[in-house]
Amino acid sequence: MEFEGSGIGEECGVFGCVAAGEWPTQLEVAQVLTLGLVAIQHRGQESAGIVTSNGASPPTYATHKGMGLVSTAFAPEALLKLRYGNLGICHTRYSTTGISELQNCQPFVVDTLHGQIAVAHNGELVNAQALRRKVMRHGVGLSTSSDSELITQLLALTPPMEEQDAPNWVARIKNLMSETPTSYSLLVMFKDVIYAVRDPYGNRPLCIGRIVPVSKLHSSGAGEEDTEGWVVSSESCSFQSIGAKYYREVLPGEIVQISRHGVKSLSVVPRPEGNLPAFCIFEYVYFARPDSIFEGQMVYTVRQRCGRQLAIEAPTDADVVSTVPESATPAALGYAQQSGLPYIEVLCKNRYVGRTFIQPNTRLRQLGVAKKFGALTDNFAGKRVVLVDDSIVRGNTISPIIKLLKEAGAAEVHIRVASPPIRHPCYMGINIPTKEELIANRPEFQDIAGYIGATSVKYLTVEGLVSAVQGGIASHQQDGKMMGHCTACLTGKYPVELEW
Amino acid sequence: MSNSEEPKVTTAPHIVKEELMAAGNWLKLEKTTYVDRAGSTRVWETVKRTTRQPNTGADGVGIIALLKRTLHKDCVVMVKQFRPPMGCHTLEFPAGLIDEGESAEAAALRELKEETGYKGEVVGITPVTCLDPGLSNCSTQMVMVNINGDEGENINPMQQLGDGEFVEVILLPLDEFQVKIDDLMKKDKIAVDAKVYIFAMGMVQAFFKPRELPVLKQ
Repeated sequence: MEFEGSGIGEECGVFGCVAAGEWPTQLEVAQVLTLGLVAIQHRGQESAGIVTSNGASPPTYATHKGMGLVSTAFAPEALLKLRYGNLGICHTRYSTTGISELQNCQPFVVDTLHGQIAVAHNGELVNAQALRRKVMRHGVGLSTSSDSELITQLLALTPPMEEQDAPNWVARIKNLMSETPTSYSLLVMFKDVIYAVRDPYGNRPLCIGRIVPVSKLHSSGAGEEDTEGWVVSSESCSFQSIGAKYYREVLPGEIVQISRHGVKSLSVVPRPEGNLPAFCIFEYVYFARPDSIFEGQMVYTVRQRCGRQLAIEAPTDADVVSTVPESATPAALGYAQQSGLPYIEVLCKNRYVGRTFIQPNTRLRQLGVAKKFGALTDNFAGKRVVLVDDSIVRGNTISPIIKLLKEAGAAEVHIRVASPPIRHPCYMGINIPTKEELIANRPEFQDIAGYIGATSVKYLTVEGLVSAVQGGIASHQQDGKMMGHCTACLTGKYPVELEW
Repeated sequence: MSNSEEPKVTTAPHIVKEELMAAGNWLKLEKTTYVDRAGSTRVWETVKRTTRQPNTGADGVGIIALLKRTLHKDCVVMVKQFRPPMGCHTLEFPAGLIDEGESAEAAALRELKEETGYKGEVVGITPVTCLDPGLSNCSTQMVMVNINGDEGENINPMQQLGDGEFVEVILLPLDEFQVKIDDLMKKDKIAVDAKVYIFAMGMVQAFFKPRELPVLKQ
């Protein structure tokens, strides 16, 4: 839950749609894109942008970008200019800067030798600095500090061996992928096609869905001829709300071409010999919506397994189990199921109180958090409470909650954290506080319980987390070096060499 | 300078006599004797249908049916067929004559199902309106119908055409109605029904230029 308070940079969401069959399509592409974005709104609330294409030669692109939530940024009138789109991509952005920077809003649209391309990116390039210098040495000027602009410029560079009149987008994308190993999930729209690209380590998620008639959505009767469109999204939770069936994941290193004729895998760029994939484990722990599916398993189920594992590793002599609403609930339920203790609710969340990171200093932040929750006193007065949270980063979000519960009459408050302590920075897109700010690196961590005012504090171990995550992945995927998760922030072992 | 010498005689125009000149299975030709506003007796050649039911105001119905599907553009259901009087294919709203004992609404839903296969529900009806009053007394009521395109039976609709009926169903998005009609006219030699084209112009006006007067040239 603490990630909500600290704010995570570059944790964005991408979504795209291509109408199948005859064009101009009768599918409301702009509406599908908007609804898809709303479903992944949790990945970014700072700003949103849509670019649609009519797919003609030459194509007409229409763009709309706005600050704030999708419902604010996309008024119905704004969508009018997008109504001739037969395909489109869109993006929600989550930034820590808090500055209104409309030009930084994605998707980026640039003119290339072969026409306009639009790019939406989720992730952070690990070698961004070196790449920026390289691109600028080619004579390209960059107008923002964003990685995503860098990617767009790299795609616009002519690769060696490309013909004069025929853009070879696979070659261009492969060129990009050879320049930067991770992390990026990309949607590149060119004319009448969307290329969905996932970096060879598969650090950020990306999956494909198939739009079928509403009446066939839940039956098994939707054949190939029923396909009304294809969608691609950071998370599969967006598919239901637009009438799409989950189709498959984009594999790590894969370049997929999505057109009105269907989905075609163009290439899979391999990792250097011996390297495993590195899917961000924090997508499972915190970021993704519980109903999303990764690697064939539902995020909720993984969180529940983490809770069970936590109960096995760190049992407690207590009376009740509860959660910090809402992200820790699956883990808390898992803990309760495994331990046999009854699950109750102890906190009431005010969903209208905004993100707490806007307040300038720690003390005000703590007060902000206190206003966000109320204590359901009757439920736990006099009882020993196990409170499950999904993460503790700085420790200053959980302390006021513990204080609140104790003052409301809890006899004991035991904190059980459904993830291991974060000790290292992330360079792949999660803006974790500096090493010094991380509570696990501070001397206070020796007596973390005393520091935050809890009766006891226990974290899930790294091995426990990894087994909870990997246990649910189908056995055929576990073999052959096809499964791997990035735990760099927990272990300090990074999937690739970082530039210093 | 003075006004005319006698007061002008004005009469309410009315029909004096209707004489049958020729009749076929479906139509008849009558000689209509009437008195005009100035009091003169004149004759008009009038076409009438032989099928008009008593107790109904209109000969037939025309159906403006909107196919509504989730996350799809609303489409108007049109029909294209060969019309011997025009000698070519026409683009029209689905339509048909009202049968004995049938209400206009019931006729509309029946004709829509037969000609296009879609099952709809009536959401509005116009008063009885005349179709070609200089030629005939034929009248129609336009019935507004919504079709739930998500329902199973409306996903792959089956027409129920009679012998000798060849009707092609064409779906045109409402927000591009006039543009699409113009495209069809460029592609094939078809005659577009006046009601259809006027409706399309009205949609353009309402959708794109609600605050502009329709006659201003851009």
